[in-house]
Amino acid sequence: MATVTNVGKVTQVIGSTFDAEYAEDQMPAIYNAVKIEIDVAGETETLTGEVAKHLGGGRVRCVALGSTDGLRRGADCVDTGSPVSVPVGDATLGRVFNMKGEAIDGRGEVKADAYKPIHQPAPKVEELSTNTELFETGIKVVDLLTPFVRGGKAGLFGGAGLGKTVILTELIARIASSHGGYSVFAGVGERTREGTDLWLEMQETQIGDTGRSVIEQTCMVFGQMNEPPGSRLRVALSALTMAEHFRDTTGADTLLFVDNIFRFSQAGSEVSALLGRMPSAVGYQPTLATEMGALQERIASTDKGAITSVQAVYVPADDPTDPAPATAFGQLDAFLYLERSISEKGIYPAVDPLKSSSRILDPQYVGDRHYEVARRVQTTLQRYRELQDIIAILGVDELSEEDKLVVHRARRIERFLSQPFLVAEVFTGKPGEITPLADTIRSFEEICDGKWDHLPESAFMYVGAIEQAEEQAKRMAAEVE
Amino acid sequence: MANARALDNRRKSVKNIKKITRTMELIATARFKQAMDRAMSATGYTGRITQVVNDLANSGLEVSHPLLEKRDETRSSVLLVLTSNRGLCGGYNGNVIRAGVERKAALESESEKFKLQVSGKRGVAGLKFRGIEADRVYTQFEDKPLFSEVSEVANGFLDAFAAGTIDRLDVAYTRFLSVSKQEAVVETLLPLDSIGGPSDAGGGDEDRGESKHSSVYEFIPSPESILEEVVPTSFKVKLFKCFLDAAVSEQIARMVAMKSATENASDMIKQLSMEYNRARQSQITGEIMEIIGGVEALES
Repeated sequence: MATVTNVGKVTQVIGSTFDAEYAEDQMPAIYNAVKIEIDVAGETETLTGEVAKHLGGGRVRCVALGSTDGLRRGADCVDTGSPVSVPVGDATLGRVFNMKGEAIDGRGEVKADAYKPIHQPAPKVEELSTNTELFETGIKVVDLLTPFVRGGKAGLFGGAGLGKTVILTELIARIASSHGGYSVFAGVGERTREGTDLWLEMQETQIGDTGRSVIEQTCMVFGQMNEPPGSRLRVALSALTMAEHFRDTTGADTLLFVDNIFRFSQAGSEVSALLGRMPSAVGYQPTLATEMGALQERIASTDKGAITSVQAVYVPADDPTDPAPATAFGQLDAFLYLERSISEKGIYPAVDPLKSSSRILDPQYVGDRHYEVARRVQTTLQRYRELQDIIAILGVDELSEEDKLVVHRARRIERFLSQPFLVAEVFTGKPGEITPLADTIRSFEEICDGKWDHLPESAFMYVGAIEQAEEQAKRMAAEVE
Repeated sequence: MANARALDNRRKSVKNIKKITRTMELIATARFKQAMDRAMSATGYTGRITQVVNDLANSGLEVSHPLLEKRDETRSSVLLVLTSNRGLCGGYNGNVIRAGVERKAALESESEKFKLQVSGKRGVAGLKFRGIEADRVYTQFEDKPLFSEVSEVANGFLDAFAAGTIDRLDVAYTRFLSVSKQEAVVETLLPLDSIGGPSDAGGGDEDRGESKHSSVYEFIPSPESILEEVVPTSFKVKLFKCFLDAAVSEQIARMVAMKSATENASDMIKQLSMEYNRARQSQITGEIMEIIGGVEALES
């Protein structure tokens, strides 16, 4: 579509945005990709930009999707006539892409049958699927307190270093390895090293007993920390476009993992001021909710197929009221909040059982027994938390006998919420535990009933079902003797 | 960033708790002094009784009294647990109850009939929670147990023992060893295993030392009739001593518990103040930054 005539000139470069001037009647449309040849140290590179704003007088302001190093005023800026398009379909499986849909795994070019623009409308209301079904993960705290929804969205909220990426990797190892459909991984603004680790691990992990590695059913898209904000802002959309294609054409259950959705908001705020928008609360872009909504609404299950997505959300300064995580929060079905004080106790996954929640923790979806047990666990822990000030001041002896029992059980429940992970075997020294939901519910019910009050607290650390806690207690007793 | 207002509220409530614990500490200190004086003066009396009994023993007399005889069979036993009426005294009640429950299990397996008597509301509540109901409850003993009141209780036990309705009486209480050391113990008071005085702390020792030299007495009327009088008194004194020890220990336990509670509250206030200041500071910084950012964005 790009005609030779539709060439503009770069008139201004401001950090990772630039202005270009076109003939008044040939301005590229919003979201169109524009290309500029740049000469960097003797080599010619192509910089892609995305039109974000029309300034009037034939000038457009673009967000650079790559580095603006070497860009100079007067350079030719070619309108491609369409938004950035990425390859979709089977050809993308097993490959690693950047935000522009170029393969970066060194295995040559991707020859896809179809390309799709990364900007797509969200599915219409009547197309949305209304099924609600529990999605079992085998992680006790998740299955009991924050059950995931099949075809729903789950978020992992947490401050720096609380293990968001570890839980996400664990979920990939657990879900993807037993999952028949396709997986798409979007690395947004996180460490490149983690992306490489994940890629290597996916090559090793097998899908069930098929002898095929997980990577064969997966495509990965990375726009990591080293990329300019424009790239980090759009990489989630690129991955999503690929996932949408799998959903709409194959009808298979598709998994979408995003690490880390906060970087998407952060990248947006980096370019927002450069685009001339006035900063809003805490310096974020005024369009924070709009951008997040546009992305999240597309991650949806329709009558054609389902996308189950798990997203990590960084919580800056451990403050969940920060606008970026707060905006993401509203979009999710299940919500895991990782708490620093829990990770400080050495309990991993450091999920806060009181701040985390799920839309389907409701007797209507999970059944009365599950709901009842989850509520009892939460009530016990809630009471324990209320008593903590009193214990800190007066000591545990001043509590009434009922409260002492609550504290006794709460401390055991707290520890029982930990679990050895498949991917953390090197840290815990224990093989990962996949605990079936029925075992999880029964174990917690028995603890609440006081059946295991006699076991020492440390027996509850890093075990699967309650019987393993009993074994561990016996083993510990044997070691002491 | 924590919510500054929530932190301030929490700090206020901790401050109030601190006021209470501080006051309780001062009250406990004053009461401890009184209870300690009472226990000390009782020690003098019990020391004398001990001396008299020892003198009797040294007079070459065959000491025999129904209260001293160990019965072949313990058919029915009684356990008296001494706790406090009030809480906020650390592990004081918990320790006594634990010791009592242990002995209860042993007594129940040994004897056919078992009765539990508890003094103090805390003990009653604590045992009830463990599913144990007391057969008799005393709540009249505060921090100044009177001899007349204890004597009444003791007479009840003596009569029952004489009548053969009880064969054994154990008392669980907190023994006062020194200001820095008290321990929960269970002692068998009936039958009296020896006619020596109560195993008291303090003044008793020197009296016992003296008794060796002053054993040459003439007893009028007869040593037997004196024994008749002295042995029940010795039991009463022993029981009274248990009550006194418990009262002193309670005050000490409360004093220590409240002292550490006050200290903990102070630490917590310090911690909360720091968090509050930090939260407030960052709130202000954040708002200033926003305003400046907005102004600059408008200018450019």
